[in-house]
Amino acid sequence: MKRVPLHLAMMSWAVVTALPLLWVVFSALKSNKEILTSPWSLPSRPHLDNFGRAWTEASIGRYFLNSIVVVGGALILTITVGSLAAYVLARYSFRGNRFIYYLFVTSMFFPMLLALVPLFFTVQRLGLLSTHLGLILVYAAYATPFTIFFLHAFFGTQPTSVAEAAFMDGCSHAGVFFQVMLPMARPGIVSVAIFNFLGLWNQYLLPLVLNPDPEKYVLSQGLAALSTSQGYRSDWSGLFAGLTIAMLPVLVAYVAFQRYIQVATTSGAANDPGLAR
Amino acid sequence: MSPDSLSRRSVLRSAAAVGLSTSLLTACVTGGRDSAETPASRGTKDANNPFGVENGRPLEVVAFKGGYGDDYVKNAEKLFNSRYARSTIDHKGLQKVGDTLRPRFVANTPPDVVDNTGDGRLDISTLVSSRQLTDLAELLDAPSWDDPTVKVRDTLLPGVVDDGSFGGTCLCLNYVYTAYGFWYSKSLFDQRGWAYPSTWDGMVSLSEEIKKAGISPWTYQGKYPEYVSEPLLTMAGKTGGPALLKAIDNLEPNAWRTEAMTNAAEAFAELAGKGFIMPGSEALSHTEAQAAWCQGKAAFIPCGSWLESEQKGITPDGFEMAMGVVPPRTSSDKIKATGLEASSSESFIVPAKGKNPAGGLELLRMLFSKGVAKSFAQSAGTLPSVAGSADGIRMSSALASVTAAVKAAGPDLVVYRHRIWYAALAKATDDAVGELINGRITAKEWADRIQKAADAIAKDSSVKKYTRQ
Amino acid sequence: MSRGLPGRVHRLRGGSAFVIVALLPAVVLHVVFVLSPYAQSFYLSLTDWNGLAGSASFVGLDNFAQLGSDGLFLDAVRNNLFLLLVMPVMTVAIGLILASTLKMGSKSRRGELFGSRLYRIVFFLPQVLSVSVIAVLWGSAYSPNSGLINGVLRGVGLDGLARSWLAEPRLALVAVMVVMVWSGAGFYLVLFTAALEGIPREIYEAALIDGANGWVTFWRITLPLLRENVQVAFVYLGMAALDGFALVQIMTVGPGGPDGATEVIGLSLYRAAFTYGKFGYASAMGVALFFGSLVFAVFALGGGRRTQTELA
Repeated sequence: MKRVPLHLAMMSWAVVTALPLLWVVFSALKSNKEILTSPWSLPSRPHLDNFGRAWTEASIGRYFLNSIVVVGGALILTITVGSLAAYVLARYSFRGNRFIYYLFVTSMFFPMLLALVPLFFTVQRLGLLSTHLGLILVYAAYATPFTIFFLHAFFGTQPTSVAEAAFMDGCSHAGVFFQVMLPMARPGIVSVAIFNFLGLWNQYLLPLVLNPDPEKYVLSQGLAALSTSQGYRSDWSGLFAGLTIAMLPVLVAYVAFQRYIQVATTSGAANDPGLAR
Repeated sequence: MSPDSLSRRSVLRSAAAVGLSTSLLTACVTGGRDSAETPASRGTKDANNPFGVENGRPLEVVAFKGGYGDDYVKNAEKLFNSRYARSTIDHKGLQKVGDTLRPRFVANTPPDVVDNTGDGRLDISTLVSSRQLTDLAELLDAPSWDDPTVKVRDTLLPGVVDDGSFGGTCLCLNYVYTAYGFWYSKSLFDQRGWAYPSTWDGMVSLSEEIKKAGISPWTYQGKYPEYVSEPLLTMAGKTGGPALLKAIDNLEPNAWRTEAMTNAAEAFAELAGKGFIMPGSEALSHTEAQAAWCQGKAAFIPCGSWLESEQKGITPDGFEMAMGVVPPRTSSDKIKATGLEASSSESFIVPAKGKNPAGGLELLRMLFSKGVAKSFAQSAGTLPSVAGSADGIRMSSALASVTAAVKAAGPDLVVYRHRIWYAALAKATDDAVGELINGRITAKEWADRIQKAADAIAKDSSVKKYTRQ
Repeated sequence: MSRGLPGRVHRLRGGSAFVIVALLPAVVLHVVFVLSPYAQSFYLSLTDWNGLAGSASFVGLDNFAQLGSDGLFLDAVRNNLFLLLVMPVMTVAIGLILASTLKMGSKSRRGELFGSRLYRIVFFLPQVLSVSVIAVLWGSAYSPNSGLINGVLRGVGLDGLARSWLAEPRLALVAVMVVMVWSGAGFYLVLFTAALEGIPREIYEAALIDGANGWVTFWRITLPLLRENVQVAFVYLGMAALDGFALVQIMTVGPGGPDGATEVIGLSLYRAAFTYGKFGYASAMGVALFFGSLVFAVFALGGGRRTQTELA
């Protein structure tokens, strides 16, 4: 019975954490009238049409697809570019190795707001403003340092014997990386990919500034626009449905990959853009 | 994009972003500045063809396909084809006008007519400064489509030509007309025997009565205090007249401390002081406040004429929303009691370097004809900037009240420019208005604060200044 | 950062073509989109650039002098400092309390506290949500008439406590901070829990035998052993406290209001740049923020080290 107070403490924070999320999901199932008259009641019947409205009329569907394109593209680019760089920095000795490594790693500690104005003009001058390509490149650029930081440690601790055997067999440098080292680093790659996914999927400041075209909004940005400037008529149940749609994939990803995330958390993941807030 | 994106907020925001987009465009648009300006050839002009359109010369139209669609532009194109049958029309309905057209302006191959609207539009002031736009004086002075004895200029609602003018030259024409005022439910008022007051004193006593009846007399979009800044400034403008409007817009010393201003501020502070405002309003977003109003929890709400479309689906049947003008504060107001705040949007331009500017002007003449405007009013439920175009159509009570207010106001408009010119001043005003209407500062403190902000802007050499004539 | 570097690794020589090809994309991306913007903003902060091509002229430290008399910016600095002083302490405190409660459950013979895995999953949930989702969610939750918070208060008969949370100048910033704590505590809970797992159970058992109660073991054992993690947490949370842009921009009245009560440096910067077009001035705010963060980081890390040596 000693555990009752412990459970009480745990339970109370669990309620504090989960209640707002449950409230959103329940509100998403209510009618507009129900939301306004009784914020605190269960839906009379599940109004699933809210989700349809949010998906089409409020463009959540489009934002969702935009997010998939941008985050997917950025993720592939980040992992490719970041793992190559991390591998080379961890396993090859050459002049400037440390310098380059620290160049990447220190930038993780700069406030992104400092770069905002020149970054906007850089992207604009490259003709990439309001393009998904531009967003992909910038996302990748800001996710790469953490990726290098994380994978550098990973590649550094891998046994060298396998790689050496591969060289003996006549593998090229690239061959060793792609056929031997990369598969061996899979757990690390998965962890860093999940973290980058969460960080980039949730990114708000960069798309807000670099992606001002409503057609191209990503989910986080579109959702904020719905609740602030555009109004989206007066459809709260639609807004709550949109929130639910935006929350679900990350929650599912989180629960599915829970183990990896907890591992990555303990290895300095808070450096990731979007996760360090 | 939805019609409600035409709200004052987004209009202001886009305008405020002018400084930004200017910079983006100058780099590329100015590239075309030095090229020789060879006017495109024109055919012979006559009374029916005032711009000399060549039948057979193709016309390219780029329309903004937003909340109002682009069918009304197509209607004008049909008219065009009926007269110039051999001219083919290339019509594009876009949502991102700027991104598509920016390179074409740089290359000096713009289309002939552009509806330059929406978040992704071209920055108008850059187009102006790089002389990319046709002076529309020729169009304004041409005979109107419906009546050759009336010039196009005289078929437009007040303020439309001004809204499209830069340094005295009219370079764009806006199609949608927006009026601002206080909104109420006509059915509720009829049922209770309340009448929309014609003076501010009347408004105060009516508010008293409404409060006694157990309804909050007022609510407002608390998260965005600019919804209150608008009627407050309008009230002051009606009292002070054109001289005040000019003094405020030109950042003249002590303009905000004039009695007209502080009186108006006091009037709004009084709403809070007497407990007329629905509790919690100060934290409501526009949608929340407007919904509370639609549910009958409050009697009045300030807003522009986009309100009806913004409330679609949430307004109860038989609500009959209607707009009244800001009632005069004093009996000696310089602008008459029916004076109205109104502005126009949805900008049509004729690029100067298009291949068929005569055709472009002619298309606009048809677009601003009564027939096309009327079908627009019918389908969009919004007032076009062509006078009398909503006459005789079946109107919602909201559109009817707006139309009546526009008619009653005639040329007596209250229009400020400073809020668009100096975004920082608008921000200072709105912050102060929020404090005022929550009773945290007095009218005098309110005026002092904004005057200080205006003085700072007047002194700041890094801010580009504009002057109102 | 040394924990990221491998200790003694057998490094490869040669393959310079491969090294160059492998590094080039990352370096190019980094230079173009990260390093060069950072560097440029230091230069821009010394100009009066308003975005028009070729119009930037050098103004020295004028922008910084102007910051000192910009009332709204000073509000922002004050608010960020408040967040910096209070938010990390609250977040770390909650994270630590929850983590050691979980640990306390697991230190007895019956194994882990029942459901502790589930608890951990729930606590971490806010961390995986987008800051914009969180802002929209809490913006609605704080709504005075139909929101969750007042709904709960009225539901349990505490009508008197219902407020316009985001519209009262004294409450608005605290309301924003509560959201920061809510969304961050779970992350640090997991961080601390992982660190606690490395503490051998015997230490606690020995303490229990010595008759130490929960509080004493927390102060005497848990906290000292977690010093490094707590320090890292303070650095990250401090960075977050100096930001706050997204929450404020989406949730608050104005935004940044009422009347500057929730203004943060990020919002001032964003407005100066993208609403007013004063890019030089906005860059100066960024540079000021950078130096603020730097001072904080040095203080947090250095301060921690000093206490460590004092204790040693």
